Amino acid sequence: MDKDKQGTIALAERSTGVRRGSKPGRSKTPLWRDMLRSPFLYIIALPGLLLYLVFSYIPMYGIIIAFKKFNIREGIMGSEWVGLSNFTFFLKSGDMGRIVYNTLFLNVLFITATTFFAVLTAMLLNELRNKYYKRVSQSIIFLPFFMSWVVVSMMVNAMLSGRNPTMNVWLEALGLPPVDWMFSPELWPWILTVIRVWQATGYGTIIYLATISSIPGEMYEAARIDGASRRQIMGRITLPMLVPTISILTLLAVGRIFYGDFGMIYALLGDNPILYSTTDVIDTYVFRALRTLNNFGMSAAVGLAQSVMGFVLILTVNMIVRRVSKESSLF
Amino acid sequence: MDRLFLVCSNVFIGVFALFCFLPFWMMLMGSITNETEILLKGYSLFPEAFSLEAYRVLFRSSTILRGYGVTSFITVVGTALGVAISALLAYSIANKRNRLRNHFAFFVYFTMLFNGGLVPFYILISNWLKLSDTLWAIIMPALLQPFLVFLMVSFFRTLPAELEDSARIDGANELKVFAIIMVPISKPIIATVALFYALAYWNEWFYGLLFLANDQMYPLQLLLRRMISNMMAARNLIPAGAATVNVPSLGIRMAMTVITIGPIILLYPYMQRYFVKGLTIGAVKG
Repeated sequence: MDKDKQGTIALAERSTGVRRGSKPGRSKTPLWRDMLRSPFLYIIALPGLLLYLVFSYIPMYGIIIAFKKFNIREGIMGSEWVGLSNFTFFLKSGDMGRIVYNTLFLNVLFITATTFFAVLTAMLLNELRNKYYKRVSQSIIFLPFFMSWVVVSMMVNAMLSGRNPTMNVWLEALGLPPVDWMFSPELWPWILTVIRVWQATGYGTIIYLATISSIPGEMYEAARIDGASRRQIMGRITLPMLVPTISILTLLAVGRIFYGDFGMIYALLGDNPILYSTTDVIDTYVFRALRTLNNFGMSAAVGLAQSVMGFVLILTVNMIVRRVSKESSLF
Repeated sequence: MDRLFLVCSNVFIGVFALFCFLPFWMMLMGSITNETEILLKGYSLFPEAFSLEAYRVLFRSSTILRGYGVTSFITVVGTALGVAISALLAYSIANKRNRLRNHFAFFVYFTMLFNGGLVPFYILISNWLKLSDTLWAIIMPALLQPFLVFLMVSFFRTLPAELEDSARIDGANELKVFAIIMVPISKPIIATVALFYALAYWNEWFYGLLFLANDQMYPLQLLLRRMISNMMAARNLIPAGAATVNVPSLGIRMAMTVITIGPIILLYPYMQRYFVKGLTIGAVKG
């Protein structure tokens, strides 16, 4: 290193107070003095931190509503403390089994189906030779992701409801009997899964394609020299290299398995009691308890249970994945 | 064997792409089909009788214009605020000279793991902050996107530290360094994050549903949703014989949807490049 660069680095260290490659806290000056001397980095973070404080952390205080018989007029402090009775009320109501089952079942369906199709689509897209075909079809597959569930709801309604749903028109054209879609709850887990695959595959495909493109080309060349067929290459090279990404994304999804996709289900089905048996999830239930029944206490209780279970779950699953393969875990 | 595989791959992708595209086509066709034909034959892929009546009716009323106005407002304001706040936050977290950066990071990312639930949130916005029935009830909550902060942190971390060091040695103060050097270099990630925000705001309907009572302030998505819930109510009420619900005609429903997603579709070729970039960065880093 020449003299100039040495001098520059020394000057940089002295003016910024941080030595290259040091960790926070290693510096000799106390924190508050450092903050006063060069407050810029701390000040610019303030609006964001404040935002998260107000909208994410302060509501956590509202968790105590779950333990009270909440009355708007009396506010949180004034409302009567009822301990766990909101939870027991919910447990006794018989709804818990249904909504927890629906939430878990639907999420499992969604995770499996979207992962399967996203991985498959990414791998096949990767094999295509015609660049133009590749680009256009990828764009089209990604398009549904940009639609809000309200928009999708309109599309679904056109296909499945009304006096002349398009799906039935097609079924009859094929000689099959028409189906009363809006009155058949047993069909809806599958319908929702199809819709979910339609909407979410593009997103997953992009992520998996990104991972695939980071696979070193030499691996493919070596395999081709050894005479491997495309299918073998896909199965023995591409797929295994995707496994870390697949497991991270699946882990993320499983961590949220207690959270139903409220946006999707409520937008698509609204308040349709006929279909509750298979489509009512925890979130729609909480929403209804809040809006229609005005039962703040129970609604908060269920919401709290959901948050706690989700939190515990994501920590657990991450610990498990950590054991299996370090690089696949979240943190 | 390889040939066959290639053909199958192309076919699968083609079919899947068609499957993805179909609903859009049907909607477009439905919006320009003659109402009578829809009543008789349902929405079809290749209608025979065309008519622009649905659009004429919609554009005659001022509701659409207002809807566009509201949606545009919350999108522009929300995106500007969101990008600014998230970028500043991310820059602070990514910068090695910030001794609290790990604390800041945890503070932000923890919210992805645990939240208080809908009820406290609702009470916060409507009772404590008194934001009910204002557009801020929509704008503020949607500003929080920890994933986007994460994206920007990842990006800022790729910037060489020497860049900032040499600028400071040249005598620039911190604010100047940020504004004159960091921001211009970060244009791609800022564009990506801006588009993510813009899309979220354009599509936002939930907060409006929760907090807006005044339908003059409905964004496009809520207008669309009100149409749908009227349709659903009518369907559920028909056995009871209620006829007071205003059910929009079949063509108008499609036209309204086309209007709502119009700008997204038009900007799509331009937008998707940035989304792909953003997700790719997130994928490789994350």
